Amino acid sequence: MRDPQAGSLFALFAVFAPLSLLSFGGSNAVIADIAHQSIAVRQWTSERDFADLFALSRAAPGPGSMLCALIGWRTAGVLGALVATVAFYLPSSLLLFAVAKIWGRWRGSAWHQAVERGMAPIAAGLFLSGGIAVLRASPAGPAVWIAAGVTTAALIYWPKLHPVPLLVASGAVFGLIDLLQT
Amino acid sequence: MSETAESDNSTPAVAEVSLLAIFLAFLRLGCTAFGGGTAGWVYRDIVQRRGWIDEQAFLPDLAIGQGMPGSNGVNMAVLVGRRLKGGAGAFVAPFAMLAGPFAIILAIGAIYGRVGDHRIVHAVLDGVAAAVVGLSFSTGLTVIARGAAAPSSIAIAAVTVLCVGVLGWPMLPVMLGLAPVSIGLAWVGSRP
Repeated sequence: MRDPQAGSLFALFAVFAPLSLLSFGGSNAVIADIAHQSIAVRQWTSERDFADLFALSRAAPGPGSMLCALIGWRTAGVLGALVATVAFYLPSSLLLFAVAKIWGRWRGSAWHQAVERGMAPIAAGLFLSGGIAVLRASPAGPAVWIAAGVTTAALIYWPKLHPVPLLVASGAVFGLIDLLQT
Repeated sequence: MSETAESDNSTPAVAEVSLLAIFLAFLRLGCTAFGGGTAGWVYRDIVQRRGWIDEQAFLPDLAIGQGMPGSNGVNMAVLVGRRLKGGAGAFVAPFAMLAGPFAIILAIGAIYGRVGDHRIVHAVLDGVAAAVVGLSFSTGLTVIARGAAAPSSIAIAAVTVLCVGVLGWPMLPVMLGLAPVSIGLAWVGSRP
């Protein structure tokens, strides 16, 4: 590769495409690998930089893994962001589509139904566990458990309520508490 | 067995929607789904608010989407898009879901450095994250109540939460260990 731009685009693809197929349980599963690759192996970001980009990716809407877009952008501009994002989402999506298609062929058979019904409570349990993991990792302590509990109750009680006002309110309360403590 | 009236219905309800409607719905979803837990936002918007698919369709998709690699939110977009409009839907839904956040994150990245270091920013983000967990919890509890309410299903969900959420065991082995038990129970439960 003579062209440095093309070289770094290729490197971004080579790092993120395999991680896409390894991200079992969601993109959080490969955050550690992304950090290792971009800090130590490829030297795309410093450690401090990576922590900031990670926090930024959490502040933005959408799937939490927009981190790859930020790293791509740092490395090779907007095109880099595009390449990293496509590399991170396309392989897993194609694989998933193929599996769903094959799986759909057996729709209607008794064992197909048993598998879908059997997997449903596990999926729901994993989803609840994901929330617990976030709360346990939060530096804010018991306050996040209370806020999560209140939001849970409100969303179950009012099924049509849009969650954004609750997010804004919760963020505002935490910000206020932080102000009062200083 | 009182729950069989609902769960015996083997054809999940899927609405007729246009590709443009899918694009716009997922574009909006991507831009409003703050704080991760995107599958919860998909449930809230597509199942509860719009009623495009029901829990009987959403739950199997959630299971496949979590068992396969990839971001849970994007996986849900692929699967729900596919249910709604086949291959075209499976492409348009995740594309639309990622397009908005992609533009927004680059804009945020461009101004980053000015706000990132203030402590209050971290406090506000903690508050937002906590509320998003509330969204995940309400989604998990609601889909169990609507789509997997048999006592054995509730027990399996509780064991999953205990192993992964409380004890912090890795997801894949727990899933592989519980799946045969849970599928066996569903198989036995469906026999007359």
